[in-house]
Amino acid sequence: MMPEPTGVIHDIGYRHYEGARLGRGNAFMALALHSLRGAFGFGRTARAKIMPLLLVTIMLLPAVVSIAVMALVKQPAMRYHEYAVIMQAVLAIFLAAQAPYLVAPDLRFRVLPLYLSRPVGVLDYLGAKLAAMSVAMFLVLALPLTLLFAGELLVDLPGPPKTGEYFASMGGAVILAVLLASLGLALASFTPRRGLGVASVIAFYLFTSAVTAVFFGVLMSMGEDAAAKWSMMVSPFFLVDSVQVALFGTDPSNGEGYPPGLWSCVILLAVIAVALSGLVLRYRKAASS
Amino acid sequence: MTASGITCIATEGLTKRFPRVTALEDLTVTAGAGVTGLVGANGAGKSTLIKILLGLLPATSGRARVLDMDAATQGAEIRRVVGYMPEHDCLPPDVSATEFVVHMAQMSGLPRTAARERAADTLRHVGLDEERYRPIGGYSTGMRQKVKLAQALVHDPRLVFLDEPTNGLDPRGRDEMLALIRRIGGEFGISVLVTSHLLGELERVCDHVVVIDAGRLLRSSSIGEFTQATQAIAVEVEDGLQSLADRLTGVGEAVAVQGRTLTVQVPAEADPGRAYDAVRDAVCDLNLNLVRLEQRRGHIEDVFKEPAA
Repeated sequence: MMPEPTGVIHDIGYRHYEGARLGRGNAFMALALHSLRGAFGFGRTARAKIMPLLLVTIMLLPAVVSIAVMALVKQPAMRYHEYAVIMQAVLAIFLAAQAPYLVAPDLRFRVLPLYLSRPVGVLDYLGAKLAAMSVAMFLVLALPLTLLFAGELLVDLPGPPKTGEYFASMGGAVILAVLLASLGLALASFTPRRGLGVASVIAFYLFTSAVTAVFFGVLMSMGEDAAAKWSMMVSPFFLVDSVQVALFGTDPSNGEGYPPGLWSCVILLAVIAVALSGLVLRYRKAASS
Repeated sequence: MTASGITCIATEGLTKRFPRVTALEDLTVTAGAGVTGLVGANGAGKSTLIKILLGLLPATSGRARVLDMDAATQGAEIRRVVGYMPEHDCLPPDVSATEFVVHMAQMSGLPRTAARERAADTLRHVGLDEERYRPIGGYSTGMRQKVKLAQALVHDPRLVFLDEPTNGLDPRGRDEMLALIRRIGGEFGISVLVTSHLLGELERVCDHVVVIDAGRLLRSSSIGEFTQATQAIAVEVEDGLQSLADRLTGVGEAVAVQGRTLTVQVPAEADPGRAYDAVRDAVCDLNLNLVRLEQRRGHIEDVFKEPAA
């Protein structure tokens, strides 16, 4: 015999919401946090977690090996300021994998009108996405740098700890994160298809790297050292490295140095401005359609 | 539940021209509380009107007010207290309905815990049960429409814009959706502006109907005015339909036989009880088996075929 039901569900009808209605700032934070979690695969399928987890692990490997080396031979191995340049391929792949996830589905499945019919504006939406992508890129780079620094402090190498270099690299990581996030989102937003977005970000990275390598090699062999150094500015990673050199006085990671002065900072700001204008124009068009 | 003194939507000489086409032409309409139907063929300017009312599209000229706020300057305030269900697909396939609706509630400014409660409540009201935890990609059209409706209601708006909510639904899904719209306007106390290109389905749920064609107002009046003149009674009996028709004609009623159904016209000025009594007496006297006896409103389509008054 069935036991008598003890609980009863009452249909209490429709209830109005009397609670708080927060402002745009709250929606902005919620969207940024939601996107940031998504960039690392949280709140998504198990398959979506593989790639970010794998890339974060690869980013941490050199730091772990360096700590082991420091512990064994008592000598510094990997240096902070060159971490981003050495690991640039991994950073580029992370960007290519996650930037399209942040923007493409909302365009492809036309979710954007639902955001825009709420207090969230186009600029709020883009700001939240940019913040999420920047923070994600920063975390991917800052995590191994911080691990390395913690390792250095624990191993207690002879001589003072390289605190200045660590903080300079963290500053560089912030700049790199903002630059890569702007470029990645701008490139990814031009196609509603995620696969094409991934391909276009990767293609952009390969293209700029190839151009840099070819021009640098050719110009160096011609004896045009100054021009060769300018050609390094084409690659986003060397551009940020040169900004790091100019602002924080770290050693250049390309072995040859960069053009003198703060020109690299001007180029950096110009590139970010172009990327963000492209992004805003793209969304103005998407919002009005 | 019926239109009261409150004005939800008011436009004045609203005109919207795109480079190639005029979407709205000097449109002046008002809509009160309750359910308002906006009827027009595809391309009549219904979606354009909704976008202007949401403050997302500037009008070329004229004014639009929503809940006593100006659509041109107070768009953000309007969007806080209205809901919008677009005509097109707008759901990401790889998240569950619950996650999606919670996220959209947060985008409307609800705190996270409140968003979760409201999402669960709203999904229950639109009739999504256990499947709300599955990814939306596997949903049927009817379920997708319910999710779209839920995201428009989750922040408990004062007014919702529903753009073609019955599009692509089978007859049962259509009935469910229409019943839901009726409940939103009545029991939920949320005013509704619902668009459709089918006049017939709106007569079942609307208090007020606005008809536009090529961006111009054709007619705007309460549902009662539309159907008052053409009230009728539909009668169905097992056998002997013809004898019933003859008998009713004999006592002076206007009847018409359509297949298995007999329609008795009720003149607007006469006492409606008389026609019902005549049918009842005729069925009793002839000893017929009554299958169906219902009040039938004249179809709105028929009303619109007449030149607008």
